[in-house]
Amino acid sequence: MKIQAYSTASLSEAIVAFGQFCRSHGLNVGVQETQDALNAARHDVLVYRPIFKNALRAIFCTSPEEQKRYDRLFSLYWDTNPIDLQPDRKNKIAVTGTLQKKNTAALVLLGQGKSNPDEEEEAKNVSGANASERLRKTDFSKIREIDARELEILADRLFKEMALRLRRRMKNRQINGQIHLQRTIRRSLSLGGEPIKLSFKGQKPKRQRLIVLLDVSGSMDKYSFFLLRFVCALRDRFRQSEAFIFSTSLVRITHLLDTKLLNLALINLAQQADNWSSGTKIGTCLETFYDSYGKQTLNGSPVVIILSDGLDTGSPALLHSVMTKIQRKARKVIWLNPLKGMQGYTPTARGMSAALPLVDDFKSAHNLESLLELETILSNV
Amino acid sequence: MVQNPQAIIEALNDYNYVADEELATALFLLLKLRKPILLEGPPGVGKTEIAAVLAAWLETDLIRLQCYEGLDLNAAVYEWNYQKQILLLKSAEANHEKMAESEIFSDKFLLKRPLLQAILHPKAPVLLIDEIDRSDEEFEAFLLELLSAFQITIPEIGTIKATHRPYVILTSNRTRELSDALKRRCLYHWIDYPDLDKEMSIVQMKLPDIESELLEQTVAFVQTLRSRKLAKTPGVSETIDWAESLMALGYRRVTAQALHQTLGCVLKTVEDISIVKKENAGLME
Repeated sequence: MKIQAYSTASLSEAIVAFGQFCRSHGLNVGVQETQDALNAARHDVLVYRPIFKNALRAIFCTSPEEQKRYDRLFSLYWDTNPIDLQPDRKNKIAVTGTLQKKNTAALVLLGQGKSNPDEEEEAKNVSGANASERLRKTDFSKIREIDARELEILADRLFKEMALRLRRRMKNRQINGQIHLQRTIRRSLSLGGEPIKLSFKGQKPKRQRLIVLLDVSGSMDKYSFFLLRFVCALRDRFRQSEAFIFSTSLVRITHLLDTKLLNLALINLAQQADNWSSGTKIGTCLETFYDSYGKQTLNGSPVVIILSDGLDTGSPALLHSVMTKIQRKARKVIWLNPLKGMQGYTPTARGMSAALPLVDDFKSAHNLESLLELETILSNV
Repeated sequence: MVQNPQAIIEALNDYNYVADEELATALFLLLKLRKPILLEGPPGVGKTEIAAVLAAWLETDLIRLQCYEGLDLNAAVYEWNYQKQILLLKSAEANHEKMAESEIFSDKFLLKRPLLQAILHPKAPVLLIDEIDRSDEEFEAFLLELLSAFQITIPEIGTIKATHRPYVILTSNRTRELSDALKRRCLYHWIDYPDLDKEMSIVQMKLPDIESELLEQTVAFVQTLRSRKLAKTPGVSETIDWAESLMALGYRRVTAQALHQTLGCVLKTVEDISIVKKENAGLME
């Protein structure tokens, strides 16, 4: 493949090669795009350099990120001065050597070139199928820094897939209501115009509300943040999602549930979480939630998810009473306790045992796989 | 017909639209290659407006399809007039007449919606598919046939080919990522917020009577707002609205009182307004 314009013989060839060059660097440039580029070149865009550049940009790129990458690729491809790179006959080997280096350096700048072999080896280890399988099963609190990014990408992908599955599943439900005249007639065509099978139209099934209460004290924050991502992915599935975090006091973070804001928000929250004391007052916090937000959020039978280890420093009686109130208003209360993922765990903590009788589902949610199991519960509400 | 992007910039200028070279080149390709163009960008930077301006300049019709969640073929492409069909069938039955199927599914009973209108238009129209990111993925998939082959298939009639290829403009606020298949069929251009000079010339063009001090102050103020993290970043249309309101109220420069009265033109959430008010209260006095 030719990676500089000067090495091509004609303009058409140069454009085609540029298409290949862009493709090899991650832009989605196919035959159609190359053809369009050649077509555009016939329409007088070649007279002036910036126009040519802009024209190919409109054809080759599909997002602002790609446009940035394109600009670099363009100058790399078209701006290289042949004189700088002309192989000298006397010491050909030496020059090609430096040329090689130069290219690699430029490519590394683009984030595409070959990096040193060690790094590559490591990358291979992480991105294999087994690795993702392993990541799915790793406890969130035990994930190393290097894997954290990988896990986030994996989680994003899996959550998206799940959201799509849930959406599709909803559509197949049959609802009876008013007769859908148009569809009935349309379907009766195959039966000679007799409307034997009736089609109905009804309201779309009402989507549920989802309320998440996350414990961010001490070691819980890592689990909470993954659950927050999970909730973010499910946002469309629910009519309304509300999120709260608590340790010693309760904070509403619903407005952060926007995918665009989430990453930024998580960083801020992580910094704040460190400053919070480790004592958790679950009962008091849930009571604050019930008193100040209960009216707005606890109507229409929402699904309530609470993530906490249940190590309460307040009184269990208070927790029990407030849980009763919440449970009465909610369609379903799901308690996630990451400690449950440990071997030999029994819910004997005072707070936990007080709340447990009022919980519909008690799950672990300590790794990706157990989080994804929530899908079945959520799809049945 | 235009020979180069520069001509487009000048032509659009006559219609009070300020286009930069990149946008002009993308539009030039739209005119030459007749490929649909996808315009993405934050709200209020003139994505929708460009379609109206283009239609006015090309002296053709603008056909607009506003996308929303749940938009289906019935609302976007065509629908049979069922009630009328049934009435006709019943009256034919009563009179013991025979009816051919082709008669029932004929042009008379076909309600043409924007996409079909665009295909059948006698002169190549500008077809604006607005806020495509709001529609469902299924609808996006349907658009593929239209955007690549410029044809629509109606089972009862057959495939209808475009008499004239429409100039298709799709806009998106990027609230979700569009499918690669759709993107591949389109030219792409990202419209960002304009810089100070460009925004000033836009406002100047829209409000020719504005005084230069007010113009400079309003635009500069909005530009600083944009660099901040707000819940809703104001677009160019907000700047124009604001400048217009200030002029209507008779202000010749931005004062603390003017800001207090008219901040609602630029900022659209209570949180943003209270933050900015608090900051500027001390600054202005």
